Amino acid sequence: MNMGCNTCMDSCSDRKRLLMEIGKVDFVLKDLNLYLDTHPYDQQAIEAFRQYNNLKTALVREYTEKYGPIVLNCLDNNDREWKWALQDWPWERGYH
Amino acid sequence: MWNYEKRLQFPVKITQTNPEIAQVIITQYGGPDGELSASMRYLAQRYTMPFNTVTGVLTDIGTEELAHFEMICAIVYQLTRDLTPEQIKESGFDKYYVDHTLALWPQAAGGIPFNACEFQSKGDVITDLMEDMAADAPH
Repeated sequence: MNMGCNTCMDSCSDRKRLLMEIGKVDFVLKDLNLYLDTHPYDQQAIEAFRQYNNLKTALVREYTEKYGPIVLNCLDNNDREWKWALQDWPWERGYH
Repeated sequence: MWNYEKRLQFPVKITQTNPEIAQVIITQYGGPDGELSASMRYLAQRYTMPFNTVTGVLTDIGTEELAHFEMICAIVYQLTRDLTPEQIKESGFDKYYVDHTLALWPQAAGGIPFNACEFQSKGDVITDLMEDMAADAPH
C-alpha cells in the first residue's frame, strides 16, 4: 500500500476514518443535490447543503494535508512530488 | 465537464477471490441494466429535456452512476485478483480470460458486449422518464 502511512497502524486507520467521514458527508450532499434539483426554492435544504459543503471542504483539506490529494482543487503542500499519481488508486485493496 | 474524486462512493474491501461471483456481478457493469448503461442513458437524454430542473436531475444522477460503475469495477477487479490458472479453468472464467485476461471489459453475465441498444433516448419527456424507470426499477 503506497499511501505514505504503511509503517504506522494509527495513521493508517485515521486516514481510513477520515476517508469514510468524507464519504458520509458527500452522500448527504448528493441526496440534497438531487432533492434541490426538483425543489429549488427550499431554503432549509439550501442552507443544509451549504453547511455540509463547508464540512466536506474542511474534511478534504485535513485529509489532503495529512495524506495527499483526493481532488485536484485542494492540493497538498509538497512541491517535490505529484502525490496524485504516485499514491494508490481507490480500487486497490487497503485504500478504503 | 467532470472532475474526478480519488475515492469510491462506498468502500470496496474484498479479501477472497471468487471468479464465479465476478462473472455474475460484471453484468451490473456492462449488462443491459448495468451502471454504464445507466450513466450513458441519463447523460444522453438530458440535452433535449425541456425543463432545467429535470435536466439537473439527469445530469446529477448520470454523474452518480459513473461512481456506481467504478464501485462495480472495483468489486470485479478485487474478486478476480491473483487467480491461478487452475481457478480460471475450474470456474469457467477462462472464456472471459482468453480475450481480456484480468482486465475490466463491459459485458453482460452471458458474455454479450455492452451495447447502446440497451437504452433509449427519444427526446420526449414522458417516454424518456418511463425508460429510466424501467431500467432503474427494482427487479
